[in-house]
Amino acid sequence: MAHVDHSKPLEYATEENDLKIFGFWVFLGAEIMLFGTLFASYFALVDRTGTGPTAAEIFEIGPVLAETFILLASSFTIGLAIHAMRLGSKKATLTFMGITLALGLAFLSVEMYEFVHYVHVGAGITVSAFTSILLTTLGTHGLHVTLGFFWGLSIMIQIAKRGFTPATANKTFIFSLYWHFLDVVWIFIFSFVYLKGMM
Amino acid sequence: MAKFFPIGQVMGFVFSLVLTFVALLVYFTDMSMKTGMIVLLVTAFLQAGLQFMIFMHAGETKDKWSIYSNIAYGFGLVIITVLGTLLILLWDMDM
Repeated sequence: MAHVDHSKPLEYATEENDLKIFGFWVFLGAEIMLFGTLFASYFALVDRTGTGPTAAEIFEIGPVLAETFILLASSFTIGLAIHAMRLGSKKATLTFMGITLALGLAFLSVEMYEFVHYVHVGAGITVSAFTSILLTTLGTHGLHVTLGFFWGLSIMIQIAKRGFTPATANKTFIFSLYWHFLDVVWIFIFSFVYLKGMM
Repeated sequence: MAKFFPIGQVMGFVFSLVLTFVALLVYFTDMSMKTGMIVLLVTAFLQAGLQFMIFMHAGETKDKWSIYSNIAYGFGLVIITVLGTLLILLWDMDM
């Protein structure tokens, strides 16, 4: 049995927990670079529209605003979930995580609407270099959110069944890092794909 | 109920909404591309810093400098990759 340090929050209570959190930060460093290469490709290809539509022609401010505020709110609620976990309230943690995942689903619904809209207006993934890199970048982020949804759901089930242990608290905290990071990536997509494209 | 809404995180959320509205000015007002890009760069990086510091608790353990340098290294590589890509593929280098 690993040594449990009760002076620290549960998610940091053992040496292994500490290392797992640090290891996840290192993973996020690699994720930054993954999205960095997508952004570099996007900036290189954004004007290569061929006979297809341009960014300004297909972007709609409405869905973009919805996605942005939904994801910002979900980043706030997963933060509140961690705070509630540190207060030891299982019910509040599960409530905030539930809201977070519901917002995640809402985000994905808007994104699916958006993708259907793009195909509908003749901006499918094979139309031009621009539509390819646009949908690859958005899709990679959307895939992360989808993965996060199922990951978060699994952790909620574990908390419900096992309560807060050094292991479940550690997983919950690491999941929160992942979820906040998805919001960070979205901020850059919102700013340098959408707003720049509609300027 | 109030104990579940710590003031730091509530303020962080309000500030992130404010930054989003400032970023939206580039869409709703008539800004030059250059001014707009400066506004977006400032708001996006402030938003990212806010997430890392307030919501992700990046600075709360003894590992904080390792975490900061890891993230800074990631962003540094991205900036080099993006600028390098633009330099080679887009910006006119015929002097």
